[in-house]
Amino acid sequence: MLEFFLTILIISSIAAGLALLLVLCQRYIVNYGLCRIVINEEKELAVEGGKPLLSILRDRKIFIPSACGGRGTCGVCKVKVLQGGGPILPTETPFLTKQEQTDRVRLSCQVKVRSDIRIELPRQLLSVQEFVCICSQIEDLTYDMKRFRFELKSPQTIEFTAGQYVQLLCPRYKGSSEEVYRAYSIASDPQQKTQIDLIIRRVPNGICTTWCFDVLREGDPVQLNGPYGEFCLSRTDAPAVFIAGGSGMAPFVSILHSMRNARCRRSVHYFFGGNTVRDLCLLEQMKEFEHDLEHFSFIPVVAKPAEGENWDGQTGLVTHAVQRSFKDLSTYEGYLCGSPGMIDASIKVLTELGMPADKIYYDKFA
Amino acid sequence: MKQSPEEKKLEDLLRSTAIVAGGFMGTDPRHPADVIQEDILETEKRGFTPAQLAQRMHELTELAKPYLGCWVETCRGKIRVKTEEFKGALICPWPHPGLFDKRVTAAERLDTGEKIQWTDLNIHLIAEHSFFEGRGAFFRIEPAEIIRILFEGLT
Repeated sequence: MLEFFLTILIISSIAAGLALLLVLCQRYIVNYGLCRIVINEEKELAVEGGKPLLSILRDRKIFIPSACGGRGTCGVCKVKVLQGGGPILPTETPFLTKQEQTDRVRLSCQVKVRSDIRIELPRQLLSVQEFVCICSQIEDLTYDMKRFRFELKSPQTIEFTAGQYVQLLCPRYKGSSEEVYRAYSIASDPQQKTQIDLIIRRVPNGICTTWCFDVLREGDPVQLNGPYGEFCLSRTDAPAVFIAGGSGMAPFVSILHSMRNARCRRSVHYFFGGNTVRDLCLLEQMKEFEHDLEHFSFIPVVAKPAEGENWDGQTGLVTHAVQRSFKDLSTYEGYLCGSPGMIDASIKVLTELGMPADKIYYDKFA
Repeated sequence: MKQSPEEKKLEDLLRSTAIVAGGFMGTDPRHPADVIQEDILETEKRGFTPAQLAQRMHELTELAKPYLGCWVETCRGKIRVKTEEFKGALICPWPHPGLFDKRVTAAERLDTGEKIQWTDLNIHLIAEHSFFEGRGAFFRIEPAEIIRILFEGLT
């Protein structure tokens, strides 16, 4: 019997020893040497091989959007790998469509740089920066939404287009042992370059929003990177309909600031939906925009006022309010920000009212 | 209980906070396989299967989705249900493709006042893996609770 257990112990020890040796070799002996990363056929980086593409690029201050910190669980960090990078891994396939696989799209967190590699990145990603900030103000907007103001410390200014978003780094805290990034639309005036505002709604048991609501305090250091995204107001004069719900308010605050800065005379109807009156926010600020922008009107819509709530505005679903207000939207543009359900319902209503599909722009919470 | 490397990897992921705050296992010291086995027994003891429970939850979520966060009554006014959608998506911790919108469905029995909530990921975990999450996890649902609120006394 003793011999049996001794044999098992010896075999297990040898296996464990070999595994340890393998890990040590990987770390200290295997040397991929210097590898070249060619970006968009115009920029070349010489890097130490062996690490994931996502983290190598991040070390070189090139930020690819990623929500999970590079663990291959979010599927956000897609880049086109034109040459090198090895075959697509089973950890990537769940996140890639057949077309993307054909187009050589990869998850940059799963691609190890072991030899020269050629990649293609959207040009705007090359201007993304990392910012060290101080959380200077936290303001309650509703029972489950707050506005966070971040004062930029290094670099001290940011250039962004109204409608873009940043990625906020959620550090380790009690209840979350790993760093994650989450994307939030900027909710401040693009002319105010030394600080940015984010409007964040609490997600039940959400990793980052729990940190923002329960851990983050005014005066705390914060790290974020950006700006990202292509959701912005077109340069046309076409009348527009904005539709949002919850923290979908954020990009529109920024867009309205930029319209005011440009003395924009464009006609805009902004429908903002809440389930009850207490879901509405920034009503005073919207009144100011209505005052300053001649052709802007804000239409808050409450699905069903709760008992005791005093509400004399529009009621029902936000999409129903749009239907009641327009007969023909064929010359309009649509801008939507909110939950997938709200976006899908809004697209249906807008197209039924004649708005061309290619004139509907949206930022879906997905 | 002896675990394969795959099972060990899965348990580590379920206990980690990589996907949801606090992890899927909460404070439950049991192995995930034991959690699953005991919940299956609990469900079957009451004459149901996890797939049936998940199907009911899925139906109620689908019913509430078009109402964009507003309550809707069903089962002849005995249950009301609503869904709320949040920014982002959740992945299934099991090693297969599975990405789910962050949607929380809340159901309330209007005759008893009992409430229950679940995510789209919960529905998948119960349907495909018979996993109701560990005790103490934020979205742990007791099979008996699902049966009591969503099935019993509705006819």
